[in-house]
Amino acid sequence: MLVMTAVMLFASSASPAPVKTAHVEAELVAAKTALVPGEPITVALRLVLEKGWHTYWRNPGDSGLPTTLTWTLPPGVEAGPIEWPAPRMLPVGPLVNYGYEGVALHLVEIRPQRSLAIGGTAVLAARADWLVCKEVCIPEGADLTLALPVAESAPPDARWGPEISAARATLPQPLAGWSASAIGGGATVALKLVPPAGAAVPGVVRFFPFAVDRIDPSGPQPITRDGDAYVLTLPVAPTLSGPLDRLAGVLTAASGFGAVRAATIDVAVAGNVAPGAKGAPAPAPALDLAASRSGAGDGITLALAIVSALLGGLILNLMPCVFPVLTLKVLGFATHHDTRSTMRQEAVAFGAGVVLTFVALGAALAALRATGEQLGWGFQLQSPAVVSALAILFFVLALNLSGVFEFGQLAPSGVTNWTAKNRTLDAFGSGVLAVIVASPCTAPFMGAALGFALGAPAASMLLIFVALGIGMALPYVLFAWFPGWRRRLPRPGPWLERFKQVLAFPLYATVIWLAWVLGAQRDNDALLRLMLALLGVGFALWASRIVRLGGARPWGIAGAFVLAGAAIIAWPLFVTEPVVTAKAAAIDNASDERWMEFTPATVAALTASGRPVFVDFTAAWCVTCQVNKRLVLNAEEVRAQFAAKGVALVRADWTRRDPAITQALAAFGRSGVPVYVLYRPGKEPLLLPEVLRRSTMQEALATL
Amino acid sequence: MRSGFVPFALGPALLFAAGLAGAVVSGAAAPGFTITDTAGKAVQLADYKGKYVVLEWTNPECPFVRKHYSSGNMQGLQKEWGSRNVVWLAINSTNSTSSEFKTPREMKAWMESNGAAPAATLLDSTSDTGRAYSAKTTPHMFVVDPGGKVVYAGAIDDKWSTNPADAKTAHNYVRAALTEAMSGKPVTVASTTPYGCSIKY
Repeated sequence: MLVMTAVMLFASSASPAPVKTAHVEAELVAAKTALVPGEPITVALRLVLEKGWHTYWRNPGDSGLPTTLTWTLPPGVEAGPIEWPAPRMLPVGPLVNYGYEGVALHLVEIRPQRSLAIGGTAVLAARADWLVCKEVCIPEGADLTLALPVAESAPPDARWGPEISAARATLPQPLAGWSASAIGGGATVALKLVPPAGAAVPGVVRFFPFAVDRIDPSGPQPITRDGDAYVLTLPVAPTLSGPLDRLAGVLTAASGFGAVRAATIDVAVAGNVAPGAKGAPAPAPALDLAASRSGAGDGITLALAIVSALLGGLILNLMPCVFPVLTLKVLGFATHHDTRSTMRQEAVAFGAGVVLTFVALGAALAALRATGEQLGWGFQLQSPAVVSALAILFFVLALNLSGVFEFGQLAPSGVTNWTAKNRTLDAFGSGVLAVIVASPCTAPFMGAALGFALGAPAASMLLIFVALGIGMALPYVLFAWFPGWRRRLPRPGPWLERFKQVLAFPLYATVIWLAWVLGAQRDNDALLRLMLALLGVGFALWASRIVRLGGARPWGIAGAFVLAGAAIIAWPLFVTEPVVTAKAAAIDNASDERWMEFTPATVAALTASGRPVFVDFTAAWCVTCQVNKRLVLNAEEVRAQFAAKGVALVRADWTRRDPAITQALAAFGRSGVPVYVLYRPGKEPLLLPEVLRRSTMQEALATL
Repeated sequence: MRSGFVPFALGPALLFAAGLAGAVVSGAAAPGFTITDTAGKAVQLADYKGKYVVLEWTNPECPFVRKHYSSGNMQGLQKEWGSRNVVWLAINSTNSTSSEFKTPREMKAWMESNGAAPAATLLDSTSDTGRAYSAKTTPHMFVVDPGGKVVYAGAIDDKWSTNPADAKTAHNYVRAALTEAMSGKPVTVASTTPYGCSIKY
């Protein structure tokens, strides 16, 4: 009997399967398994949106339509309004929408009257209508039902209770602790937010008005400090009709107002307000994402991109991460006395390894982007796992050059012989390895060509990646092809051993740099784990050599144990998600206050105010960026010139994934950093070369 | 070594597309334009000085636009006011790079199949005129008086929906503005927030 009741309860509280439309899955879900007379219960319209599609908030912004619910309820049951979660800004070209992506829960309070009879089943029915948009907009809707038994008590629904509680907990609540006031000043309203004593910095703040015709949705909302207070300057909508005497809406803060990320305010507006007659300041041209992105392909022709990729590939050989490895490969010719055909066969295999690996990386990136991921080139280095793996790989390569061990010792003899025989496969493997070790350097150097590649059709993209690979493999292939060239190489001798050892040091330097990147992405603990893992790997390789040279077997066992320990210690680096810490910590600690954190709104507001603005798109893992920063951007004379010209400095830190920055880069036809942009009042913004020089910088500033 | 990078560092600098210009609100002078219509003829706003002009931003791919055409609402307005010497210009500012872009022939065919009757259907394939007016949505409506001044800017009516049935019951702002302006009265509701799909800039 009890079992039967339980089964009935379970069955009756379950809603039918979600209704699937072309881009949305919709259902009604309840926080509890039954209706209790006199006790309000939360029911949610749960929309699961296809990736890349969005629905709208109660104020949809510049375009769109809010989602609506029309209830048909049994007598004695009433429904409240939708309690909207905080919206997100969804830029569409120069316009901005307010809405949701992913999963959106629209909470509604259902109130069964006290008089409702226990024992029956109440069917809650609702017609839900929504507009779902990506590029195109599609009006969709569904007739949804939820049958709940009417009982004396109701346990929480195991599946939906927690999700609904979590959604309720993040609903915007009236702003607590902070005091808000608003003063109109013509076409803008200054919203002043005074934090309680000791409050942390809220980060980027955005105001979303409840009403559609009050504040311009696509206008910038610059934030400034006024003593302890923050002042958000809101552009009045050009369509404002009637008085704007209250400001009601949701405020979101990237770092939160205390513990909450989203709060509601409803404050009186003092002073005078006029419709934004001249219009809100136009969004900064560079941030007109859709428009400039679509034109990105026109900037450089395919032929130029291919030539650039070829040159870029050649230059990659000189990068500190590649140079040692390839130099040894080339010098290896001096020691080999093979037939010309063997050499050529090997060269082609190496080239194929390089080209195919580039194409595979490019295809992986294109595939990820097709699923809507906001990634750019260099995305590999935004993952702490990849950075850790590269650090270990470089450390092993460096130890090899230092003479701590020989590669042949590690593989079982059978494999060694086999690779020795099959030198073609070995050469192919070297090609793959060369691209992997080059990957930290491709990101900073290949920005424009790869940016073009990613925006181009598949065939052109393939050509660019192939050109990059050919460029990189070219020196090696040429040396292998022409025996005459090989004769010019220095003869092998004892100097070669010393040369190898010297070349280990650039690799150690690369390890240090990767460790620093990991520290910026994660924290001190991650750094410690990596260092301990390197220590373990170093010991294990050393022990393997001892055993190899006839040392006692226990050394080998100790080496194996230490290696296992290293693997255990390093494991969290590969499996856990990066801790989201204050973003500023990634590259520049707060001490460098001259630089503002990048948001499209910040740049738009600064340019709109008529100031020149310099934006530094950078990342900790980008060596070029760091060199440019130390030698040029931080140079005394450049700093002085920035100050003299009143240039606002903005830094966009792409060390971790950041879709806003990826989009901004795409607007410049780029997919990687560094990118330097100087916005000049009244002139076209200027894009500076990736390798900055003081003279270039000064010439650029002189055009202001 | 660097020479290889300079060309493609400078190339994208030329790519900046302009953002939306200051919004054109009622009371402002209507920005001039010259756009080619679906018949290949260049149409200038200045050609119609001395007449009332209605600018209708449109896009056949947009469900809000389709609502007003499938209900016959938009064609009805075009005929109603066309017969009263008002010049009705339908403008499609969908950028030629957008997947929703329509060629002149496609646009002409769509308008004809719906029995639309504007004075001309203009293809603003660079979106320049859309930007000049800060047109945000489809539909987005502007009424220009004989002196070239905007007397109404905003939504077509007061029912934000894609349901064709709503077009009949809604309060039509364009009709109201034209009625008032042409009888010499000030326009009561001269500015509203437009609703619809984003213009595909």
